[in-house]
Amino acid sequence: MRAGRPRRSRQERLAYLILLPALGTVFVIVTIPFILAVVQSITAEDGSLVGLRNYARALGNPLLYDALRATGLYALIVLPSEVLLGLAFALFVHRTVRRPALRATLYVLAILPLVVPPVAVGVVARLIYAPGYGVLNVILMSLGITHQEIQWLGRPVLAMLSVASVDIWQWTPFVYLVLFAGLQTVPHESVEAAQVDGANWWTQFRHIELYYLRPLFLLIFFFRVADVLRVFDHIFILTGGGPGTTTQLLSLYMYRTEFKFFDMGQAAALAVVVLISISVVYSLITRALPLERA
Amino acid sequence: MRRNGLIYASRVAAIALGMAVVGVLYAFPLYWLVATSLKSKAELYASTISLVPRHPTLQPYVSVLIDRGFWVLLKNSVLVCASTVVVTLAVGLLITYPITRLPVPVGLRVGVLNWALSLRFLPPIAVVIPYFAIVRTLQIYDQPIALIAIYSLFNLPFAIWMLKGFLAEIPMEIEEVALVDGANRWTAFVRVLFPLAAPGLLAAGIIVFTFAWSEFLFALILTATPNAQTFPVGVQGLVTQFEIIWNEMAAAGVIAMLVPLLLMVIGRRYMVAGLTFGVIREK
Repeated sequence: MRAGRPRRSRQERLAYLILLPALGTVFVIVTIPFILAVVQSITAEDGSLVGLRNYARALGNPLLYDALRATGLYALIVLPSEVLLGLAFALFVHRTVRRPALRATLYVLAILPLVVPPVAVGVVARLIYAPGYGVLNVILMSLGITHQEIQWLGRPVLAMLSVASVDIWQWTPFVYLVLFAGLQTVPHESVEAAQVDGANWWTQFRHIELYYLRPLFLLIFFFRVADVLRVFDHIFILTGGGPGTTTQLLSLYMYRTEFKFFDMGQAAALAVVVLISISVVYSLITRALPLERA
Repeated sequence: MRRNGLIYASRVAAIALGMAVVGVLYAFPLYWLVATSLKSKAELYASTISLVPRHPTLQPYVSVLIDRGFWVLLKNSVLVCASTVVVTLAVGLLITYPITRLPVPVGLRVGVLNWALSLRFLPPIAVVIPYFAIVRTLQIYDQPIALIAIYSLFNLPFAIWMLKGFLAEIPMEIEEVALVDGANRWTAFVRVLFPLAAPGLLAAGIIVFTFAWSEFLFALILTATPNAQTFPVGVQGLVTQFEIIWNEMAAAGVIAMLVPLLLMVIGRRYMVAGLTFGVIREK
């Protein structure tokens, strides 16, 4: 014990010697933009102090609330769709597919959309929905379902659904992969016992499998909400936020404030508000996430 | 009995139909991208759109890469992503080596991991607004280094969590034997730990490369010319033109997704583990 002690503390010193510079550098790099955003938000371009005026302008701008409403609507469309579809596929494959080779193939197929760059997915969506050349209208018209072009990207509701469909295509596989992996951790014994008791597939899900999936639902929910807040690429390419501002989600709104209207003060104030609120929320929930920290 | 058979048959039919619909919804977009990219210019202006290219040609690829000079953007992308991988893995190792291999308080380890995780939730647009001002002040606007720095930062959470998982799986005794044999920490790391961790580093590197390859927002904001523009920015430029050349746009889209798809041949086992911070283990 006594002999081990100096060695131990020397190792600990080494740990800090490596850790502190690395962590310190990253911490500074993360913090500087935040401090700069605060400075930008309370000063005018000529350097004079303007106090909280930019915050008042940012938070009083009705376009912000349009953006928040669009973001909320988008989340309300994509999150339930992705979770329900992903869960349905996971349960279906778990119950019916037994061959390891087929399961492995499905795994690879599910990975594929996740690694396609969102810009490329936006291009695909453009090829499908665009007026004039979009193939969806061509197919619908040749099947006789519609006789004139549907303006997928020109009508508020359809544009929102088109944009959301891209998200659902790309991210449902993620939900599937996570929940399917979760289903593999359900012990065989409890499932067999339930089946002996005459449980049908719903009670089996409701009373046994759901218990094992619950932490994963939490994980999916937090990761996907964080992703919805950063959605940008495919909307930028597909609708650019239009028609009007109907698909202008929060990221696009902030982008336009800074880089289209060059309103640095307001954009910086928005950035500060968003950074603080997200940091607070996620510093609270990272602890609750079912991750292995040992 | 016959009734049961009928119910069974109709259930099978319903499932088959459902799978067919899902299969089409899944595969058609990708098929259509590839099909459009193989169409000739003449076919684009034909009055009817055909679902199969009539005279498949690689001409759109040639004109995107050569005539439009997009191969330069491809080169930029490779440079930026490879550098990002090196920086991210190096910093990731500097942070994960001490917390997994050296005796540090549990609180510190958990704190570092939680902090890294919280970085995962930073919205890029809120960070890039002030970062843009820094980039201009440092005069690295439209330079690859501006992208490499921010990409490394945003990929660090993934790298830290993946490397932590890989390092924790290597038994402590292996390194300790080397230390007893008279090696110092550095030689033990280079000779013993590093070769054992190499497959994990490769996996983490592939995933970081894939993420960096897909990135668009930072590249759009921080670059302006082919000096530093990455491939996705080029793709976007084709989309927002007034007259869209559909086959070239599709060809650019295919090229953009080809690289991550090829990388996934090697990295697929680790993809889900990476995306979920190790909650879902590789299989």
